[in-house]
Amino acid sequence: MSAGLVATAERQGDAVVNRGDQVPLALRGICKRWAADRPPVLDELDLRLDLGSKTWIGGRNGVGKTTLLRIAAGLIDPDRGRAEVWGFTARERHRRYQRLVSFLPAGDRGLYARLTVRHQLEFWARIALVERGEVKSRTERAIEEFDLGDLAEHRVDRMSMGQRQRLRIAMTFLPEPETVLLDEPLTSLDAEGGVVLERAIDGLIARHGALLWCSPSGEHLDQEFDTRLVLENGKLVPA
Amino acid sequence: MSELSQAGGAFLAVFRRDLHVYVSYRTRMVSQLLTSVFSLTLFYYISRLVNVSGFASPNQYFGFVVVGIALVSVLYSCFAIAEQVRQELIAGTFERFLLSPFGAVAGMVAMTLFPLLFAFVLAATTLGVGVVLFGLELHWATVPFAVPAMALALLSFIPFGLFFAAVTVATKQGNVGTSWFIALVSIVGGLYFPIELLPGWVQKISEVQPFTPATELLRHLLTDSPQANSTLTTVAKLAGFAIVLVPLSLLALREAIRYGQRRGTIIEY
Repeated sequence: MSAGLVATAERQGDAVVNRGDQVPLALRGICKRWAADRPPVLDELDLRLDLGSKTWIGGRNGVGKTTLLRIAAGLIDPDRGRAEVWGFTARERHRRYQRLVSFLPAGDRGLYARLTVRHQLEFWARIALVERGEVKSRTERAIEEFDLGDLAEHRVDRMSMGQRQRLRIAMTFLPEPETVLLDEPLTSLDAEGGVVLERAIDGLIARHGALLWCSPSGEHLDQEFDTRLVLENGKLVPA
Repeated sequence: MSELSQAGGAFLAVFRRDLHVYVSYRTRMVSQLLTSVFSLTLFYYISRLVNVSGFASPNQYFGFVVVGIALVSVLYSCFAIAEQVRQELIAGTFERFLLSPFGAVAGMVAMTLFPLLFAFVLAATTLGVGVVLFGLELHWATVPFAVPAMALALLSFIPFGLFFAAVTVATKQGNVGTSWFIALVSIVGGLYFPIELLPGWVQKISEVQPFTPATELLRHLLTDSPQANSTLTTVAKLAGFAIVLVPLSLLALREAIRYGQRRGTIIEY
Protein backbone atom coordinates (compact mmCIF):
# COMPACT_ATOMS: atom_id res chain seq x y z
CA MET A 1 0.00 0.00 0.00
CA SER A 2 1.46 3.36 -0.95
CA ALA A 3 1.79 6.21 1.51
CA GLY A 4 -0.53 8.27 -0.70
CA LEU A 5 -3.26 5.67 -0.52
CA VAL A 6 -2.80 5.43 3.21
CA ALA A 7 -3.03 9.18 3.53
CA THR A 8 -6.55 9.00 2.19
CA ALA A 9 -7.61 6.37 4.70
CA GLU A 10 -10.06 7.35 7.38
CA ARG A 11 -8.48 7.22 10.78
CA GLN A 12 -10.89 8.53 13.38
CA GLY A 13 -13.32 5.84 14.40
CA ASP A 14 -11.75 3.41 11.98
CA ALA A 15 -11.02 0.81 14.62
CA VAL A 16 -13.31 -1.81 13.16
CA VAL A 17 -11.30 -3.77 10.69
CA ASN A 18 -12.08 -3.74 7.01
CA ARG A 19 -11.47 -7.43 6.19
CA GLY A 20 -9.50 -8.08 3.07
CA ASP A 21 -7.59 -4.86 3.54
CA GLN A 22 -3.92 -4.99 4.42
CA VAL A 23 -2.47 -2.42 6.79
CA PRO A 24 0.73 -2.00 8.82
CA LEU A 25 -0.96 -3.73 11.74
CA ALA A 26 -4.35 -5.38 12.01
CA LEU A 27 -5.88 -7.40 14.82
CA ARG A 28 -8.69 -9.52 13.43
CA GLY A 29 -11.18 -11.27 15.71
CA ILE A 30 -8.65 -11.65 18.53
CA CYS A 31 -9.75 -13.81 21.47
CA LYS A 32 -7.65 -14.53 24.54
CA ARG A 33 -8.79 -16.20 27.73
CA TRP A 34 -6.42 -16.79 30.64
CA ALA A 35 -8.59 -19.23 32.58
CA ALA A 36 -11.50 -21.39 31.49
CA ASP A 37 -13.68 -20.22 34.39
CA ARG A 38 -13.12 -16.50 33.68
CA PRO A 39 -14.40 -14.31 30.86
CA PRO A 40 -12.04 -13.71 27.93
CA VAL A 41 -9.68 -10.79 28.39
CA LEU A 42 -9.93 -10.07 24.65
CA ASP A 43 -13.19 -11.00 22.97
CA GLU A 44 -13.44 -10.94 19.17
CA LEU A 45 -11.36 -7.77 19.21
CA ASP A 46 -10.62 -5.91 15.98
CA LEU A 47 -8.19 -3.08 15.44
CA ARG A 48 -6.32 -1.58 12.52
CA LEU A 49 -3.51 0.89 12.37
CA ASP A 50 -2.91 2.88 9.21
CA LEU A 51 0.35 4.36 8.12
CA GLY A 52 0.98 7.78 9.61
CA SER A 53 -1.61 7.24 12.36
CA LYS A 54 -1.49 7.54 16.14
CA THR A 55 -3.83 5.39 18.23
CA TRP A 56 -4.30 5.44 21.98
CA ILE A 57 -5.88 2.65 23.98
CA GLY A 58 -6.77 3.17 27.60
CA GLY A 59 -8.52 1.11 30.23
CA ARG A 60 -8.35 0.05 33.84
CA ASN A 61 -5.41 -1.88 35.25
CA GLY A 62 -5.61 -5.55 34.36
CA VAL A 63 -8.22 -5.03 31.64
CA GLY A 64 -5.99 -6.62 28.97
CA LYS A 65 -4.03 -3.77 27.37
CA THR A 66 -0.67 -5.48 27.81
CA THR A 67 -2.08 -8.76 26.52
CA LEU A 68 -3.34 -6.92 23.44
CA LEU A 69 0.08 -5.36 22.86
CA ARG A 70 1.91 -8.66 23.37
CA ILE A 71 -0.31 -10.29 20.77
CA ALA A 72 0.17 -7.35 18.39
CA ALA A 73 3.95 -7.59 18.91
CA GLY A 74 3.94 -11.29 18.02
CA LEU A 75 5.13 -12.23 21.49
CA ILE A 76 2.19 -14.45 22.39
CA ASP A 77 -0.55 -16.09 20.34
CA PRO A 78 -4.26 -15.36 20.58
CA ASP A 79 -6.59 -18.30 21.20
CA ARG A 80 -8.42 -17.24 18.06
CA GLY A 81 -7.97 -14.54 15.43
CA ARG A 82 -4.95 -13.09 13.68
CA ALA A 83 -2.45 -10.34 14.41
CA GLU A 84 -1.21 -9.30 10.97
CA VAL A 85 1.38 -7.00 9.50
CA TRP A 86 0.50 -6.38 5.85
CA GLY A 87 -1.51 -9.59 5.88
CA PHE A 88 0.99 -12.01 7.46
CA THR A 89 1.42 -13.09 11.07
CA ALA A 90 4.58 -13.33 13.18
CA ARG A 91 4.40 -17.13 12.93
CA GLU A 92 4.19 -17.04 9.15
CA ARG A 93 7.06 -14.56 8.62
CA HIS A 94 8.80 -13.97 11.91
CA ARG A 95 11.81 -12.03 10.64
CA ARG A 96 9.81 -9.67 8.43
CA TYR A 97 7.18 -9.10 11.13
CA GLN A 98 9.75 -8.21 13.76
CA ARG A 99 11.61 -5.92 11.38
CA LEU A 100 8.44 -3.89 10.88
CA VAL A 101 7.09 -3.85 14.44
CA SER A 102 8.85 -2.64 17.56
CA PHE A 103 7.45 -3.02 21.07
CA LEU A 104 8.29 -1.21 24.29
CA PRO A 105 7.05 -3.43 27.12
CA ALA A 106 5.91 -1.83 30.37
CA GLY A 107 8.27 -1.73 33.34
CA ASP A 108 12.03 -1.41 33.46
CA ARG A 109 13.11 -4.90 32.39
CA GLY A 110 14.87 -6.10 29.25
CA LEU A 111 18.24 -4.47 29.83
CA TYR A 112 21.61 -6.04 30.60
CA ALA A 113 22.62 -4.57 33.94
CA ARG A 114 26.36 -4.74 33.35
CA LEU A 115 26.48 -3.42 29.79
CA THR A 116 26.98 0.24 29.00
CA VAL A 117 24.35 2.23 27.15
CA ARG A 118 26.43 2.14 23.95
CA HIS A 119 26.99 -1.63 24.16
CA GLN A 120 23.30 -2.16 24.87
CA LEU A 121 22.24 -0.15 21.80
CA GLU A 122 24.81 -1.80 19.55
CA PHE A 123 23.74 -5.22 20.77
CA TRP A 124 20.10 -4.44 20.07
CA ALA A 125 20.95 -3.06 16.62
CA ARG A 126 22.76 -6.30 15.80
CA ILE A 127 19.99 -8.65 16.89
CA ALA A 128 17.46 -6.35 15.22
CA LEU A 129 19.48 -7.21 12.09
CA VAL A 130 20.24 -3.60 11.21
CA GLU A 131 22.54 -3.47 8.16
CA ARG A 132 26.11 -4.02 9.36
CA GLY A 133 27.34 -0.75 7.87
CA GLU A 134 24.62 1.17 9.70
CA VAL A 135 24.97 -0.23 13.21
CA LYS A 136 27.47 2.38 14.41
CA SER A 137 25.67 5.34 12.83
CA ARG A 138 22.23 4.24 14.12
CA THR A 139 23.69 3.73 17.58
CA GLU A 140 25.28 7.18 17.62
CA ARG A 141 22.09 8.74 16.27
CA ALA A 142 20.03 7.05 19.01
CA ILE A 143 22.47 8.29 21.65
CA GLU A 144 22.13 11.81 20.30
CA GLU A 145 18.37 11.84 19.67
CA PHE A 146 17.51 10.38 23.07
CA ASP A 147 19.95 12.60 24.98
CA LEU A 148 22.03 9.68 26.15
CA GLY A 149 25.42 11.25 25.36
CA ASP A 150 26.46 11.74 28.98
CA LEU A 151 25.38 8.21 29.81
CA ALA A 152 26.82 6.40 26.79
CA GLU A 153 29.63 4.76 28.76
CA HIS A 154 27.56 4.21 31.92
CA ARG A 155 26.52 0.76 32.98
CA VAL A 156 22.76 0.26 33.17
CA ASP A 157 22.76 -0.89 36.80
CA ARG A 158 24.20 2.51 37.74
CA MET A 159 21.45 4.50 36.03
CA SER A 160 18.19 5.87 37.39
CA MET A 161 14.83 4.40 36.41
CA GLY A 162 14.07 7.37 34.18
CA GLN A 163 17.41 7.07 32.40
CA ARG A 164 16.79 3.37 31.84
CA GLN A 165 13.38 4.14 30.41
CA ARG A 166 14.93 6.62 27.97
CA LEU A 167 17.37 3.89 26.90
CA ARG A 168 14.52 1.40 26.45
CA ILE A 169 12.65 3.91 24.30
CA ALA A 170 15.82 4.54 22.28
CA MET A 171 16.12 0.79 21.66
CA THR A 172 12.49 0.69 20.52
CA PHE A 173 13.01 3.34 17.86
CA LEU A 174 16.60 2.44 16.86
CA PRO A 175 15.73 -0.16 14.17
CA GLU A 176 13.44 2.45 12.50
CA PRO A 177 10.35 0.23 12.56
CA GLU A 178 7.21 0.98 10.64
CA THR A 179 4.91 0.34 13.61
CA VAL A 180 5.71 1.16 17.23
CA LEU A 181 3.79 -0.30 20.17
CA LEU A 182 4.27 1.49 23.49
CA ASP A 183 3.09 0.11 26.82
CA GLU A 184 2.97 2.87 29.45
CA PRO A 185 5.97 4.68 27.95
CA LEU A 186 5.87 7.62 30.37
CA THR A 187 6.76 5.43 33.35
CA SER A 188 9.60 7.12 35.28
CA LEU A 189 10.20 9.66 32.50
CA ASP A 190 10.81 13.28 33.47
CA ALA A 191 9.57 16.22 31.36
CA GLU A 192 12.73 16.18 29.21
CA GLY A 193 12.28 12.48 28.59
CA GLY A 194 8.70 13.13 27.55
CA VAL A 195 9.86 15.72 25.01
CA VAL A 196 12.43 13.28 23.62
CA LEU A 197 9.70 10.65 23.25
CA GLU A 198 7.41 13.13 21.49
CA ARG A 199 10.20 13.98 19.04
CA ALA A 200 10.71 10.29 18.29
CA ILE A 201 6.98 9.83 17.68
CA ASP A 202 6.90 12.87 15.39
CA GLY A 203 9.78 11.31 13.42
CA LEU A 204 7.90 8.02 13.15
CA ILE A 205 4.76 9.71 11.87
CA ALA A 206 6.78 11.89 9.48
CA ARG A 207 8.08 8.75 7.78
CA HIS A 208 4.50 7.37 7.63
CA GLY A 209 4.91 4.97 10.54
CA ALA A 210 2.08 3.93 12.86
CA LEU A 211 1.88 4.28 16.63
CA LEU A 212 -0.14 2.35 19.20
CA TRP A 213 0.12 3.73 22.74
CA CYS A 214 -1.46 1.92 25.68
CA SER A 215 -1.74 3.38 29.14
CA PRO A 216 -4.25 3.67 31.97
CA SER A 217 -6.79 6.42 31.46
CA GLY A 218 -5.27 8.61 34.12
CA GLU A 219 -1.90 8.99 32.45
CA HIS A 220 -1.09 12.50 31.34
CA LEU A 221 -0.93 12.79 27.58
CA ASP A 222 0.31 15.71 25.53
CA GLN A 223 0.05 13.69 22.36
CA GLU A 224 -2.82 14.23 20.00
CA PHE A 225 -4.11 10.91 18.75
CA ASP A 226 -6.02 10.17 15.57
CA THR A 227 -7.94 7.46 17.37
CA ARG A 228 -8.69 7.11 21.08
CA LEU A 229 -10.16 3.87 22.33
CA VAL A 230 -10.84 2.18 25.63
CA LEU A 231 -10.61 -1.53 26.29
CA GLU A 232 -13.66 -2.75 28.20
CA ASN A 233 -14.90 -6.30 28.67
CA GLY A 234 -12.55 -7.58 26.01
CA LYS A 235 -13.66 -5.08 23.35
CA LEU A 236 -12.46 -1.72 22.10
CA VAL A 237 -14.91 1.16 22.33
CA PRO A 238 -14.42 4.86 21.48
CA ALA A 239 -12.96 6.82 24.40
CA MET B 1 24.32 -12.48 1.47
CA SER B 2 23.25 -9.40 3.42
CA GLU B 3 20.91 -11.50 5.60
CA LEU B 4 23.71 -13.98 6.28
CA SER B 5 26.09 -11.17 7.16
CA GLN B 6 23.51 -9.63 9.52
CA ALA B 7 22.89 -12.99 11.20
CA GLY B 8 26.66 -13.46 11.58
CA GLY B 9 26.86 -10.00 13.13
CA ALA B 10 24.09 -10.94 15.57
CA PHE B 11 25.90 -14.14 16.61
CA LEU B 12 29.07 -12.13 17.22
CA ALA B 13 27.10 -9.49 19.13
CA VAL B 14 25.79 -12.13 21.55
CA PHE B 15 29.35 -13.42 21.97
CA ARG B 16 30.66 -9.89 22.63
CA ARG B 17 27.83 -9.22 25.08
CA ASP B 18 28.73 -12.35 27.08
CA LEU B 19 32.40 -11.39 27.00
CA HIS B 20 31.60 -7.87 28.30
CA VAL B 21 29.45 -9.29 31.09
CA TYR B 22 32.11 -11.89 31.96
CA VAL B 23 34.99 -9.42 32.24
CA SER B 24 32.82 -7.04 34.28
CA TYR B 25 33.12 -9.60 37.10
CA ARG B 26 36.84 -9.16 37.65
CA THR B 27 37.55 -12.05 39.99
CA ARG B 28 35.55 -14.69 38.15
CA MET B 29 38.41 -15.90 35.94
CA VAL B 30 40.83 -16.12 38.87
CA SER B 31 38.25 -18.11 40.81
CA GLN B 32 37.73 -20.56 37.93
CA LEU B 33 41.46 -21.02 37.41
CA LEU B 34 42.01 -21.64 41.11
CA THR B 35 39.24 -24.26 41.10
CA SER B 36 41.02 -26.00 38.26
CA VAL B 37 44.41 -25.87 40.00
CA PHE B 38 42.97 -27.20 43.27
CA SER B 39 41.24 -30.08 41.45
CA LEU B 40 44.50 -31.02 39.77
CA THR B 41 46.38 -30.84 43.06
CA LEU B 42 43.79 -33.04 44.73
CA PHE B 43 43.92 -35.71 42.05
CA TYR B 44 47.71 -35.51 41.79
CA TYR B 45 48.04 -36.58 45.41
CA ILE B 46 45.23 -39.11 45.15
CA SER B 47 47.13 -40.68 42.23
CA ARG B 48 50.17 -40.97 44.54
CA LEU B 49 48.16 -42.36 47.41
CA VAL B 50 46.20 -45.06 45.66
CA ASN B 51 47.64 -47.99 43.80
CA VAL B 52 45.17 -47.94 40.92
CA SER B 53 44.66 -51.18 39.08
CA GLY B 54 44.74 -50.89 35.31
CA PHE B 55 47.38 -48.17 35.34
CA ALA B 56 51.11 -48.81 35.09
CA SER B 57 52.03 -45.85 37.30
CA PRO B 58 50.52 -43.01 39.35
CA ASN B 59 51.52 -40.64 36.51
CA GLN B 60 49.46 -42.67 34.06
CA TYR B 61 46.35 -42.35 36.23
CA PHE B 62 47.05 -38.64 36.72
CA GLY B 63 47.21 -38.16 32.94
CA PHE B 64 43.95 -40.07 32.66
CA VAL B 65 42.11 -37.96 35.22
CA VAL B 66 43.46 -34.57 34.06
CA VAL B 67 41.71 -35.03 30.72
CA GLY B 68 38.54 -35.93 32.65
CA ILE B 69 38.80 -32.78 34.79
CA ALA B 70 39.29 -30.64 31.67
CA LEU B 71 36.19 -32.22 30.13
CA VAL B 72 34.09 -31.59 33.22
CA SER B 73 34.58 -27.83 32.74
CA VAL B 74 33.55 -28.27 29.11
CA LEU B 75 30.42 -30.14 30.20
CA TYR B 76 29.47 -27.41 32.67
CA SER B 77 29.78 -24.86 29.85
CA CYS B 78 27.60 -26.94 27.54
CA PHE B 79 24.89 -27.11 30.17
CA ALA B 80 25.26 -23.49 31.34
CA ILE B 81 22.85 -22.44 28.59
CA ALA B 82 19.85 -23.66 30.60
CA GLU B 83 20.73 -21.46 33.56
CA GLN B 84 21.55 -18.55 31.27
CA VAL B 85 18.13 -18.79 29.65
CA ARG B 86 16.57 -18.79 33.10
CA GLN B 87 18.47 -15.59 33.97
CA GLU B 88 17.39 -13.99 30.69
CA LEU B 89 13.78 -14.84 31.50
CA ILE B 90 14.08 -13.23 34.92
CA ALA B 91 15.78 -10.10 33.56
CA GLY B 92 13.27 -9.75 30.74
CA THR B 93 16.04 -9.89 28.16
CA PHE B 94 14.77 -13.15 26.69
CA GLU B 95 11.83 -11.07 25.47
CA ARG B 96 14.33 -9.01 23.42
CA PHE B 97 15.30 -12.11 21.47
CA LEU B 98 11.66 -13.08 20.96
CA LEU B 99 10.92 -9.60 19.62
CA SER B 100 13.99 -9.45 17.41
CA PRO B 101 14.21 -10.53 13.78
CA PHE B 102 17.21 -12.64 14.87
CA GLY B 103 14.84 -14.77 16.96
CA ALA B 104 15.00 -16.66 20.23
CA VAL B 105 16.22 -20.01 18.86
CA ALA B 106 19.17 -18.39 17.10
CA GLY B 107 19.72 -16.28 20.21
CA MET B 108 19.96 -19.34 22.44
CA VAL B 109 22.35 -21.05 20.06
CA ALA B 110 24.45 -17.88 20.01
CA MET B 111 24.46 -17.87 23.81
CA THR B 112 26.46 -21.10 23.75
CA LEU B 113 29.38 -19.55 21.85
CA PHE B 114 31.12 -17.69 24.66
CA PRO B 115 30.80 -20.42 27.33
CA LEU B 116 32.10 -23.01 24.86
CA LEU B 117 35.06 -20.95 23.76
CA PHE B 118 35.82 -20.15 27.36
CA ALA B 119 35.58 -23.85 28.25
CA PHE B 120 38.04 -24.55 25.45
CA VAL B 121 40.47 -22.06 26.98
CA LEU B 122 39.89 -23.37 30.49
CA ALA B 123 40.46 -26.97 29.37
CA ALA B 124 43.72 -25.96 27.65
CA THR B 125 44.78 -24.04 30.76
CA THR B 126 44.01 -27.06 32.95
CA LEU B 127 46.22 -29.23 30.76
CA GLY B 128 48.92 -26.52 30.77
CA VAL B 129 48.86 -26.34 34.57
CA GLY B 130 49.09 -30.15 34.65
CA VAL B 131 52.17 -30.02 32.44
CA VAL B 132 53.93 -27.13 34.19
CA LEU B 133 53.13 -27.83 37.84
CA PHE B 134 52.65 -31.59 37.95
CA GLY B 135 54.79 -32.93 35.12
CA LEU B 136 51.87 -34.23 33.03
CA GLU B 137 53.25 -35.92 29.91
CA LEU B 138 51.32 -35.05 26.77
CA HIS B 139 51.69 -36.86 23.47
CA TRP B 140 52.67 -33.71 21.56
CA ALA B 141 52.60 -35.36 18.11
CA THR B 142 48.81 -35.78 18.29
CA VAL B 143 47.90 -32.85 20.59
CA PRO B 144 46.98 -30.52 17.64
CA PHE B 145 44.39 -33.09 16.48
CA ALA B 146 42.69 -32.71 19.85
CA VAL B 147 41.40 -29.27 18.77
CA PRO B 148 39.14 -30.49 15.92
CA ALA B 149 38.29 -33.55 18.01
CA MET B 150 37.14 -31.26 20.82
CA ALA B 151 35.09 -29.19 18.36
CA LEU B 152 33.36 -32.36 17.17
CA ALA B 153 32.82 -33.47 20.76
CA LEU B 154 31.23 -30.10 21.54
CA LEU B 155 28.87 -30.47 18.59
CA SER B 156 27.70 -33.77 20.02
CA PHE B 157 27.50 -32.42 23.63
CA ILE B 158 25.78 -29.09 23.04
CA PRO B 159 22.40 -30.55 21.97
CA PHE B 160 22.04 -31.91 25.52
CA GLY B 161 22.46 -28.36 26.86
CA LEU B 162 19.92 -27.09 24.34
CA PHE B 163 17.44 -29.80 25.39
CA PHE B 164 17.77 -28.62 28.99
CA ALA B 165 17.32 -25.02 27.80
CA ALA B 166 14.10 -26.07 26.05
CA VAL B 167 12.84 -27.61 29.29
CA THR B 168 13.72 -24.37 31.11
CA VAL B 169 11.76 -22.31 28.57
CA ALA B 170 8.76 -24.62 28.91
CA THR B 171 8.79 -25.12 32.69
CA LYS B 172 10.53 -21.90 33.88
CA GLN B 173 12.52 -23.93 36.36
CA GLY B 174 16.19 -23.09 36.78
CA ASN B 175 17.47 -26.40 38.02
CA VAL B 176 16.09 -28.83 35.47
CA GLY B 177 18.51 -31.65 36.30
CA THR B 178 21.74 -30.42 34.74
CA SER B 179 23.75 -31.05 37.93
CA TRP B 180 22.74 -34.67 38.28
CA PHE B 181 23.12 -35.19 34.55
CA ILE B 182 26.73 -33.95 34.66
CA ALA B 183 27.37 -36.20 37.68
CA LEU B 184 25.90 -39.13 35.73
CA VAL B 185 28.04 -38.33 32.68
CA SER B 186 31.11 -38.13 34.93
CA ILE B 187 30.43 -41.73 35.94
CA VAL B 188 29.30 -43.36 32.69
CA GLY B 189 31.64 -41.21 30.60
CA GLY B 190 34.68 -42.43 32.49
CA LEU B 191 35.91 -38.97 33.39
CA TYR B 192 37.48 -39.94 36.73
CA PHE B 193 37.95 -43.69 36.43
CA PRO B 194 37.84 -46.32 33.66
CA ILE B 195 34.34 -47.47 32.79
CA GLU B 196 35.60 -51.08 32.93
CA LEU B 197 35.19 -50.81 36.72
CA LEU B 198 31.44 -50.29 36.30
CA PRO B 199 28.85 -53.11 36.13
CA GLY B 200 28.36 -54.50 32.63
CA TRP B 201 24.89 -53.02 32.13
CA VAL B 202 26.16 -49.55 33.02
CA GLN B 203 29.02 -49.95 30.56
CA LYS B 204 26.43 -50.54 27.85
CA ILE B 205 25.16 -46.98 28.41
CA SER B 206 28.48 -45.74 27.04
CA GLU B 207 27.47 -47.09 23.63
CA VAL B 208 24.42 -44.85 23.36
CA GLN B 209 25.88 -41.48 24.32
CA PRO B 210 28.71 -39.36 22.93
CA PHE B 211 30.51 -38.57 26.19
CA THR B 212 32.45 -41.82 26.58
CA PRO B 213 33.79 -42.01 23.01
CA ALA B 214 34.67 -38.30 23.08
CA THR B 215 36.57 -38.72 26.33
CA GLU B 216 38.40 -41.77 25.00
CA LEU B 217 39.31 -40.01 21.78
CA LEU B 218 40.63 -36.91 23.54
CA ARG B 219 42.60 -39.02 26.01
CA HIS B 220 44.11 -40.94 23.12
CA LEU B 221 45.12 -37.77 21.28
CA LEU B 222 46.41 -35.97 24.36
CA THR B 223 48.10 -38.77 26.35
CA ASP B 224 48.32 -41.64 23.86
CA SER B 225 46.08 -43.85 25.98
CA PRO B 226 44.54 -46.90 24.25
CA GLN B 227 41.03 -46.72 22.72
CA ALA B 228 38.31 -49.35 22.59
CA ASN B 229 37.64 -48.48 18.94
CA SER B 230 39.65 -47.00 16.10
CA THR B 231 39.89 -43.21 15.84
CA LEU B 232 37.87 -43.29 12.63
CA THR B 233 35.06 -45.26 14.28
CA THR B 234 34.96 -42.88 17.23
CA VAL B 235 34.94 -39.81 14.95
CA ALA B 236 32.10 -41.34 12.90
CA LYS B 237 30.17 -42.08 16.09
CA LEU B 238 30.53 -38.51 17.35
CA ALA B 239 29.61 -37.07 13.95
CA GLY B 240 26.54 -39.32 13.91
CA PHE B 241 25.42 -38.09 17.33
CA ALA B 242 25.92 -34.46 16.22
CA ILE B 243 24.04 -34.93 12.94
CA VAL B 244 21.06 -36.48 14.70
CA LEU B 245 20.99 -34.46 17.92
CA VAL B 246 21.67 -30.90 16.72
CA PRO B 247 18.50 -30.64 14.56
CA LEU B 248 16.46 -32.43 17.24
CA SER B 249 17.61 -30.00 19.93
CA LEU B 250 16.80 -26.99 17.71
CA LEU B 251 13.37 -28.47 17.09
CA ALA B 252 12.90 -28.93 20.84
CA LEU B 253 13.82 -25.27 21.43
CA ARG B 254 11.42 -24.08 18.77
CA GLU B 255 8.59 -26.21 20.13
CA ALA B 256 9.26 -25.05 23.71
CA ILE B 257 8.99 -21.44 22.56
CA ARG B 258 5.85 -22.12 20.53
CA TYR B 259 4.31 -23.89 23.54
CA GLY B 260 4.95 -20.80 25.69
CA GLN B 261 3.61 -18.47 23.01
CA ARG B 262 0.44 -20.49 22.59
CA ARG B 263 -0.18 -20.57 26.33
CA GLY B 264 0.89 -16.94 26.71
CA THR B 265 3.48 -17.86 29.34
CA ILE B 266 6.60 -17.39 27.24
CA ILE B 267 7.92 -14.41 29.20
CA GLU B 268 6.88 -15.68 32.63
CA TYR B 269 9.63 -16.81 34.97
